Amino acid sequence: MYRYDAFDQKFVDERVVHYRAQTERYLAGELPEDEFLQLRLRNGLYIQRLAPMLRVAVPYGTLDSRQLRTLAFIAREYDRGYGHLSTRQNVQFNWPELAEVPDILQDLAKVQMHAIQTSGSCIRNITTDQFAGVAEDESVDPRPYCEIIRQWSTSHPEFDWLPRKFKIAVTGASVDRAAVDVHDIGLVVYRTSDEEIEFDVKVGGGLGRTPVIGQTIRRGLPVQHLLTYLEAILRVYNRYGRRDNKYKARIKILVRAMTADGFRDKVDAEWAHLKGSPSTLEEQDITRIEAHFQPPAYHSQPDGGDVLGKQRLEEPAFDRWLRHNVAAHKQSGYAIVTLSTKITGVPPGDVSDVQMDAVAEWADRYGFGEIRISHEQNFVLPDVRLDELFELWQQADAAQLGAHNVGLLSDIICCPGGDYCSLANAKSIPLAETIQRKFDSYDYQHDLGPLDINISGCMNACGHHHVGHIGILGVDKKGAEFYQVSLGGHAGNGASLGQIIGPSFSREEVPDRIETIFQVYLDHRHENEAFLSCFRRVGMDPFKERVYANPD
Amino acid sequence: MPTLIKHDKITQDDWELVEAETPVNGARRIVPVDAWLPESGDGLLLPGDAEPDARFCEAPLIAINFAVFSDGRGLSLAVLLRTRFDFTGELRAVGDVHPELLYYLNRCGFDSYLLPDGRSAQTALSTLAPYTDYYQASVLEPNPSHRRIRRFA
Repeated sequence: MYRYDAFDQKFVDERVVHYRAQTERYLAGELPEDEFLQLRLRNGLYIQRLAPMLRVAVPYGTLDSRQLRTLAFIAREYDRGYGHLSTRQNVQFNWPELAEVPDILQDLAKVQMHAIQTSGSCIRNITTDQFAGVAEDESVDPRPYCEIIRQWSTSHPEFDWLPRKFKIAVTGASVDRAAVDVHDIGLVVYRTSDEEIEFDVKVGGGLGRTPVIGQTIRRGLPVQHLLTYLEAILRVYNRYGRRDNKYKARIKILVRAMTADGFRDKVDAEWAHLKGSPSTLEEQDITRIEAHFQPPAYHSQPDGGDVLGKQRLEEPAFDRWLRHNVAAHKQSGYAIVTLSTKITGVPPGDVSDVQMDAVAEWADRYGFGEIRISHEQNFVLPDVRLDELFELWQQADAAQLGAHNVGLLSDIICCPGGDYCSLANAKSIPLAETIQRKFDSYDYQHDLGPLDINISGCMNACGHHHVGHIGILGVDKKGAEFYQVSLGGHAGNGASLGQIIGPSFSREEVPDRIETIFQVYLDHRHENEAFLSCFRRVGMDPFKERVYANPD
Repeated sequence: MPTLIKHDKITQDDWELVEAETPVNGARRIVPVDAWLPESGDGLLLPGDAEPDARFCEAPLIAINFAVFSDGRGLSLAVLLRTRFDFTGELRAVGDVHPELLYYLNRCGFDSYLLPDGRSAQTALSTLAPYTDYYQASVLEPNPSHRRIRRFA
């Protein structure tokens, strides 16, 4: 993974000093609240319903064991013993003291971490495939390009005061695990038949109030032009994006107003001036960054399949975990393990300091000290030997991180919602729990097959409800919390936005209505047909009919 | 009184922002773009969303107005004036100029800042350069860091 050089370290250290001085001026009354807000947002600090929330950047979801131990330490020292894995691969702390944030940043800087640009109207953390570098279906490792974009976008003089937040995602695999279709910019990197690295560039995707699938404005962008082309897009957006209404300020609204062709023409006209400028990447620039992402020293060994077969037979729960939580690795003899945080009764994505320390320990013992955070709010250990999977599973299970539910109903994506967030219309965590409780049978979940339930407490869509196979949105109905259900959303390849099924439900009604939706699916599905495919085939009508039929 | 910071120091302001072609005593005038004539010797005031134009380069001074400090359009406009139109005169930030943010303005090509009344010149002067260096290219430094410094993998 990427390691700081003296330049990176100095920048982050100076950021701590700078932010500390800004905090001091605020606390001394020299900086009014509304002005400090803009400064603290660019350093990941929100003021939430109950307390400040600090969002720590985990660049493209990758961290090492030492960094995770530091996050555990921060959870213990400055928070209430836990942190939250966000849907953008970051880690959030819900209870820090505003005055202590500079100290937290100082602790983070010691392990090459920061909270720069994790909120505010600027270029946010670059996200990618949580299996980057190890996925069997990957054609190009996207991490070097994420890092190149991270460096370019850090404290950019021109693009730190955009009309609205700006999210860039990159994927290099055939299965899109980074949801590139629903980002302000989605980049697909691949290798051509001539062994050249090129990008397809999508713009204007996004969720929020106005969900939109991004449109490809350039195919085959040669790698050396990556930054100048991004610069052209950002300049067009910065100059012409709306600033009069924050709900119409995202790039998707601009692209829609200009049309994708019109937007591309404008970008191309700008790029004509920038192409070939000193920001053009040279081969050595790319090689230098790529060197950080070389594969670790894998052991050559038998594939471990024999022992696994025996262990699976003896332990049905291990067998299920292998089936759902363990993915194919590009290196034979190794596997990618997802450690699920989705335990009934625990808010999705919440992890204790003890769990963070444990995951760090496993990363060292069973891997090469590296950990990933997925946008589904789970931990990933990218390099586990097949013959050590059983031991890891036993320990994960004992630490409440061994749930065998990745991709199943109970692997719910959920924002912090009304329990924490001052924007939310409704609570989302208790609803996730109610759903997990109602459908806690593994056999039932397994029978339902792959199913994404995504819950957002408000229109801002942090829980990505638009792209859940079943999406649930908290709405305010005359002061009461209601939930609007949509069906058919999908975040990966061939992304689609969910369609609203009809009038919203009270929290008590939601689990039963969802059960009815499942029933319709089970009645209509063909053999081996997943929920999403079935919905796409039969359409909304049969679901709508049954859900709104005479209530029981 | 607004405070003018120019070339990193508090400086006497010998320009005056005027609505139209008002004569001013002793000071030189900065007039809005509609009232500005290329050969007048007047400074030119542009809103942040103005389209840059080659004839603007005849102005000895261009002031870009920030309606609110968080409006980044003036930053792009400044970059375009400096890099695409090669404007070499004084580029001044006016309007809601925030003392905490001069380092952004500076890197986009501004060289003077008119801090409105009530904004702290002391903060502005103490935060002109919070960072020794930056990753990416800028108007001040056309080469990104890795072109200038040997960075190690």
